[in-house]
Order: sequence, then C-alpha cells, then structure tokens
Amino acid sequence: MSATAAVQEMLAGQDYIADRHIAMAIHLAQTLKRPLLVEGPAGVGKTEIAKVMAGALDTELIRLQCYEGLDATTALYEWNYQRQLLHIRLDEKSARSTAEREADIFSEDFLLKRPLLQAITRAKPPVLLIDELDRADEEFESFLLEVLSDWQITIPEIGTIRAKEPPYVILTSNRTRELSDAVRRRCFYLWIDYPEFDKEVEIVRNKVDGIDAQLAEEICRFMAEIRLQNLEKIPGVAETLDWAKVLVALHQHHLDPEVVADTLGIVFKDQHDIAQVKESLAEFLERLGVRTKMAPTATHES
Amino acid sequence: MSPEPAIDDLALHGELSANLVGFCRFLRQQGCGIGPGEERDALRALAAIDLKDPQAFHLALRTTLAKTPEEQTLFDDLFDHYWQIWARASELNKPQPNPERERAKTAKATQPRNTAFTSVRDWLKQGEPTEEEREAAGYSPIEVETQRDFKDFGAAELREMGRLLQTIARVLATRFSRRYRPAKKPGRLDLRRTLRANLRRGGELLDLSYRRRTRQKPKLVLLCDVSKSMDLYSRFLIQFIYAFQHAYRRIETFVFSTSLHHIAPMLKSNNIDEALDELAAHVPDWSGGTRIGTSLATFLDEHAALVDHQTVLLIVSDGWDTGDIELLADSMHALQRRSRCLIWLNPLLGSADYKPATRGMAAALPHIDLFAPVHNLQSLKDLVRYLMALRGATAVRRPPRRIVSEMGASHRDAAPPSEPTNVGPTYPTTANWLQRFGVQS
Repeated sequence: MSATAAVQEMLAGQDYIADRHIAMAIHLAQTLKRPLLVEGPAGVGKTEIAKVMAGALDTELIRLQCYEGLDATTALYEWNYQRQLLHIRLDEKSARSTAEREADIFSEDFLLKRPLLQAITRAKPPVLLIDELDRADEEFESFLLEVLSDWQITIPEIGTIRAKEPPYVILTSNRTRELSDAVRRRCFYLWIDYPEFDKEVEIVRNKVDGIDAQLAEEICRFMAEIRLQNLEKIPGVAETLDWAKVLVALHQHHLDPEVVADTLGIVFKDQHDIAQVKESLAEFLERLGVRTKMAPTATHES
Repeated sequence: MSPEPAIDDLALHGELSANLVGFCRFLRQQGCGIGPGEERDALRALAAIDLKDPQAFHLALRTTLAKTPEEQTLFDDLFDHYWQIWARASELNKPQPNPERERAKTAKATQPRNTAFTSVRDWLKQGEPTEEEREAAGYSPIEVETQRDFKDFGAAELREMGRLLQTIARVLATRFSRRYRPAKKPGRLDLRRTLRANLRRGGELLDLSYRRRTRQKPKLVLLCDVSKSMDLYSRFLIQFIYAFQHAYRRIETFVFSTSLHHIAPMLKSNNIDEALDELAAHVPDWSGGTRIGTSLATFLDEHAALVDHQTVLLIVSDGWDTGDIELLADSMHALQRRSRCLIWLNPLLGSADYKPATRGMAAALPHIDLFAPVHNLQSLKDLVRYLMALRGATAVRRPPRRIVSEMGASHRDAAPPSEPTNVGPTYPTTANWLQRFGVQS
C-alpha cells in the first residue's frame, strides 16, 4: 500500500474523507516534519484536518486561535503574577537571599504556558493548530516564523526551552489577507476547495446517520449548483452537513420545495442570500430535476 | 498526467536532483517564486513517496513547490507540459522551455490606447468649461464661487491644503494597536516589569512601571477619478493628489478614467511641475470616459494586497459612470468589506442642490462609510473638523455608514438649510450623526 493510501485510510478511520492531494500533503508534512499551510474557502474542513490528525496519531491537539492583536503573552507564555505575589508574601519571613527568592518565583511553577509553549514542551509531539492565521497581524506572523523555524523559545528568566521533538503544525487561513512569503516558504501548501459532488455525497452519507441515499445526492446536487451562484457567503461542507441532519430529523426523503424554503436559514447565513435563493427556488429545484418529487405525486393521483 | 518513462528514468538513473533543478528553473521562468528552500523540500519529498506512482510524484512536487492557489493551477499546467517536453527530448536531459508558454506570462497585453485622450497638461489647461463640458460634468449648476476657489489656487493655498491633508491623513491613519510598550507616564500597569523592579524590596510594590499601547500607522489608498466629467475640478484635484502624496508617505495613489494607473511613484518629485511631466509621460488617458466599476474591479484584481482591514480607502469621484453599474456595486461592496473604511469624496456634493442620483453614485452609496464633499479648502477644513469629532467620539473601527454630510454648505451664506435628500436610505444630518455618536456639538 502506498504511503498516501495509508494516510487516507488513517483519516478514514477518523471519519474524514480525504482526496489524494490532501493525503499527500499530510503525509509529507508528517514525514518531513514541516508545517502545513492549509487554505481554502470557509467551511471546507481545514480545521478538521488538524483534529483528525490528532485523533489518528493519538496525540494531543493544541489550538491557537488567531485574532487581531494576538501577542506573545497570549500565544507563548505569561507569568502568573498573582501567584508570584502570594509566594513573595509567604516567603517574607524566610532567611533566604533575594537571588534565591527571585529564582524561586521565576521558575516553571509560576509560568502560564500558552499554546506555543505547550506545544514544544510536551513529551509526545502534539498537533499544533494555528487557526486563521490571516486574522492575526503581520507582527505576529514574523514572531511565529521564529518559533516555527527553531522550535525553541527563550524566556529571559528561565533560559531557552527547546522542543525535544517538534510538533505537527497545521496553519489555516481564509485568505482575508495574503500571508507573507516567508510563512509560505516555511510551509508545505495545501489548497482545499469545495468537494466534488461524489466526494460530498460520500461525506454526507458518512457523517449523517440514517440518511437516504437519494436525499444525500439531492442535497449535494443542490449545494454544487448553489455554489455557482453569486452569493455573499457561499455555504461550505459544514452547512451541507447541518442541513442534511435537519432534513433527516424532519424525516425527509427528498428535497421538498416547501421544506427547503423553510430551512434555508441553515444553509445560508446572509439575509440577501436567503432572499435571492428563495426568489428563484422553484426554478432552481426544477433545474436540479426534483422530478423525484413529481413522480410519487403523479402515481398518487392516478 | 506525467509520462511514465520520464519517471522511470528519473528513478533508475538517479538523476533526480539534476532533473528537479531543471524543472524548478523552468517553473521560475514561468513566474513561480521558487527558492532553493523549495527545491530542497521537493527533493526530500520525493524521497518520502513511491516514485513509481506518477500521481504521487505530481502531488508531492505541487505540495512543496506551489504555495498559492494560483501557483498550484499554474503548476498543474506546467507540470504536464514540462514532462512532455522532457520525454520528447529525454536524451538531451535539458528541458527546452517552450516559447509558447511565455504567452501566458505576458497575457496581460498592453491596453488599447485611445488617441482621443488628453495628457495631464491638456487636462489642466482646459480653461473655462464650455457648455458641453458642463453637460459632461453631469451637473451644470455649479456655483461660480466654488469654481473660483480652485482657479485662484496660489502657493499659500497649496501650503494650506497640504497642512489640512496632513491632518486628515493623521486622523485617518492613527490607530491604537493592542500591543503595548513600556511607558514613562502613568497609565496601564506593567505587572511584569513592576514585579521585577520591586523584588528587591521584598515584594513591596513601590516603583510602578507602566505600559502603553503602541500606535499603528495603517495605509491610505487614494483612488481619484480624472475622467472628462471631473474636468471642472482638474486643477484642484491634481493639487489635491500631489499634496496628499506628500503629506503622508504611506499613501498609495491611483487615478482612473477608463483604466487604472498607479501614480504614487510618479509623484515623488518635490517639484509639482516635474511630477506633472512624469504623470503626462505615464498616464495616457486623462479626461477619458468614466468606467468606475471597471477601474475599481481592476484595482481589486491587481492591487488587492494593498487593502487590508487597516486600510482607509478614499475615492474621489463624481460617480458619473458610463460603464457597468453592477460591476461598480460589486466592486464597491468588495472594497468596503476588505477595508477599514471607505470614504467617498465627491466634488459635486459641494453644490447645494446636488442629489447623488446618478446611476453610478446611487449604486455606490450603500457601500460608503463616509460621503463628503471635496471641492475647495473650506470643504477640507470641514472634513478635518468632522473626522476629529468622530474620532473623539468613537474608538470604533468603522466610521458611520451612509452619511451625507452637510459640511461645505456651512460657508455658503445664501444656501438654505438643505433638507436631507431622499436617495435610498435616509441621510441624517451631520449634527444628527454626531449626536448619535455621543458628541456634543
């Protein structure tokens, strides 16, 4: 069995259906110990990759959610000041020298480890997910670059902490801004697009218990078509799954125009989109061949 | 699909690295940014896969060599192409880049040039507007007073304008970061430094250390309409552009009429005449027709990287668009979403009876954060006042949306207190706005 097939199987064990190019990227990142930069539209399962990887490797997932203004004290470490103060008070009466006491309160016990430090101090290399890096600012990016290249962090009071074994790193970005070339250089690259029809059907049937084969196909055909429309927020796989679950809970076996109209809010997260789709829904469903609905009605009437 | 024999050869003859270097060189020629780091990665990646599997070979190289979606698409094309060449000329061992592929690189052909376009100098020299020109401007009833304002622009006014623009740039472009740095003045406590400094006193916190927020300087992008309909304001505009570029270094300036031109580098000269010569040499279509939508779409396509959530976008235009209105609305929408705020300065807004009813302007309005006049010094002063008040009132990321300010009207004694015009959404008066934002005027 080829290496990528092995990865695909490993991911399938975690209920993740991976294309070959996804499997290849994960395989390479894992074997060559390089960070993997995953980009793609929202809701195609970028974050999911890190989760299933952690599951498959049976290791911890450490997540760093990026946001604007994220800085070292949130990403790396911070001293636990309250605890330090308390300790100083308790230690007041002791005859120890200042140097000793100083060494005391700036020891690892008083360190609050944030995700990046956590990731390099674990005995078993964890999966480090740096989510939505495009939301952090450029300063953080360059700071991150430093950590990613050396796998060591210097804390002035303690010294340099070096990772015994570098973690598996997954970075994701929604491309709201371009990441720097330096980051791209450092990483392997994986672009995930919306899944092909067949793959999406497979995902839906895999993830949604008790779904009708026909309903799954209709849902996915609807989604494939809808993604071609000029929408504000194009629904991702996450929306497909939510919708499928709802339709199953409503005991649907095919797309019923009325039920579709009522549940559009699950698929579309923008008022304009809902209005736009609602307007052309009938025509839309007809184009998708929801004659499946017509057929039973016809027999019913005859 | 890559041809089997090529890969067999690669594996069998152990010439992998030499061939890979050749391939990388080929990719570089086609415009992929590939450095030695990537080459090394690719080689290591090939060691980690089954070389007999052509698809794995392809994917492994793509994962390590192509780092953007665009590059990946390009890679797929080039990959097949290269190995085809390679197979054909395998005895030579050296790839022959096909000149045909160069076509893709230079696909962006030079834009057709309309000889009817005037140069920037002609544009400036247009004296009294003729009746046709007035009509082209869309709005003929422009007060004589306003016109005189930019005709009489002397050195003193220019300096004054520079000063005002500097203030505007400062107001727009100052923003507090969430990062901190040590500060001398009391403010936020810096616990870490405080603790360290006072440790020797047994933990009694006597000397306090502070920190303050660092300031960020976001970018400004100025997009200026220099089409025919803006002729009336040409003199004012060119000075406006020039002064703005010199008031704030981090501003990127573009002009457009039918196509878009990046002119920031041409404005470098400290002498406005030299700058004008530069402009004349590089921008062929001053005073052409207006395709705002197309120009904004080009901007989005080619310079999107300039706009991030910190960027303040300024568009100077009368909104008189002869092109695709839908494209204009879409582009405006995209620009507003990407930027921190989008300001539209419309010289016509200085006229009391102007209503933003042209199709272009109406399409753009819903996507504008601040809609203000710009036609003379007074309007700039008003803008400064307004922005200052706004900044004092809110530390928000976005200034208010959809306002028609009545600044500019204030200095015209004859102008009646104009009611907000009804175009689409309701426009609160400036005073209303400020009140809503908690500013006492």
